[in-house]
Amino acid sequence: MTQQKSNNTSEPTLDYSHNPVVISVKHLHKSFKLPTERAWGLKQAIFNRLKGIKGYKELKVLNDISFDIHQNEFVGIVGRNGSGKSTLLKTLAKIYFPEKGSVEINGTLVPFIELGVGFNPELSGRENIYLNGALLGFSNKEMDAMYDEIVDFAELRDFMDQKLKNYSSGMQVRLAFSIAIRAKGDILLLDEVLAVGDAAFQQKCADYFASIKGKQTVILVTHNMNNICKYCTRAILIEKGKVELDGEPSTIAKAYNNLWN
Amino acid sequence: MAIPNFLYKGNRVLLKELTKTDFKLRYQGSALGYLWALLRPLMMFAILYIVFAKLLKFGSDIPHYPVYLLVGTTFWSFFTECTNQGIQAIVNRGDLIRKVCFPKYIVVVSATLTAVINVLINLVVIFIFALIDGVTPSWTWLLVPILLLELYCFSLGISFLLGAINVKYRDITSIWDVCVQALFYAVPIIYPITMVAASSVTAAKIILLNPIAQVIQDLRYCIVTKEAVTTWSSVGEEHFFWKLIPLVLVLIMLVWGSWYFRKKSKRFAEEI
Repeated sequence: MTQQKSNNTSEPTLDYSHNPVVISVKHLHKSFKLPTERAWGLKQAIFNRLKGIKGYKELKVLNDISFDIHQNEFVGIVGRNGSGKSTLLKTLAKIYFPEKGSVEINGTLVPFIELGVGFNPELSGRENIYLNGALLGFSNKEMDAMYDEIVDFAELRDFMDQKLKNYSSGMQVRLAFSIAIRAKGDILLLDEVLAVGDAAFQQKCADYFASIKGKQTVILVTHNMNNICKYCTRAILIEKGKVELDGEPSTIAKAYNNLWN
Repeated sequence: MAIPNFLYKGNRVLLKELTKTDFKLRYQGSALGYLWALLRPLMMFAILYIVFAKLLKFGSDIPHYPVYLLVGTTFWSFFTECTNQGIQAIVNRGDLIRKVCFPKYIVVVSATLTAVINVLINLVVIFIFALIDGVTPSWTWLLVPILLLELYCFSLGISFLLGAINVKYRDITSIWDVCVQALFYAVPIIYPITMVAASSVTAAKIILLNPIAQVIQDLRYCIVTKEAVTTWSSVGEEHFFWKLIPLVLVLIMLVWGSWYFRKKSKRFAEEI
């Protein structure tokens, strides 16, 4: 896989292979037990045990995935629904544990599987920022340092003492998104969270992503091939839980679109 | 992982933030707000006092019976609130667990800490009540935090164990409801333990081996009256080991609960 990568990223500006490896995934396997009948609850569990039914079938979601990500790479992960992208991301974020193989992370990783995790409508904007930050592992002191940047980026300074439930949905997403991109981590994980807010805010986000390209390690899951080509320095196509292709974004975008032809 | 993690600063911050949120939101939108933390146990006490002390004439031979009863109901409320919140914690915070990685025990501890805050507020009321009722303050009042800690450890152990099972089998919540009802009658809260001892000394001794009963009787001994029968005083000197059984049970529960919780916690994100 690394072989492929270095072949494809022959352009000198896009070569990050000399940078230190920040994420190293080796032969990663993950499968889920899907309950066949409703095996939720004690009664079904006892029934199934008595009848000798296993109560679940195994679904292999990740099947021997390996790749290295170097510092400052902006990696797009693409694939059709159910190909294992989100599972991969959650395993990188340590939400799921690897069943076989290993995931090694060097540095602090800030995962955004979903925006605004833990946001509570009854809390003020300020309290939500600190709660969200604490969930991501930042101390109050670290959050103090990021707070102004987050609020300014979200353009919500006048609303910080309002309860979140009085925000419009666009404002809520803007706040969540600003935390995501302003959080000072070494590695940023984003799952399908690019198109938020109104046109002006989207433009601002686009500019921001363009500005950090090549300066911060980012892993982005998306279905939008324009974004892949615009921001990413490298892309990985996942198909049926395997790395199908790993290389230059434009090549991957073409391969992705060809999946349905 | 579990124990050194507790010292890690990020985890303490998260614990603080979650507890603050829980406590702030508990009485959100109610006119009396935090006052409910006081009013609820006091109302429960009032009902029990009218029914058992006034109508059924329980405890007429116990000095300061109202305070004696209040200590029982307050700490019983603490135990039920603690375990109910603790067992539900992981399931209630499913949205977080599915999307962020953090030590799961923090969720359980923060959910139960709200109950600790409540009981501390109620303790102040107990001491005020005791003074009004003419109880002489004693140095044994200082032992209360230790007993509270013991009961908290027991509740936490139960919360860890049952909370972890509850992720997969939600029946636990209903089963625990019934268990709590049964336990209420197995612990001498409304009836004096001397009433049981009058018909069967062995039954009274067995009741007092329950850590909840031991803590509540000890609290009554420490706060209200030295006449309260405790596990320590009910077991003869020749059976020294028996006096330690409640403590051993608390330890077993805590260690077993934490061990099981830790073993299962890595799959919570998938199973919720």
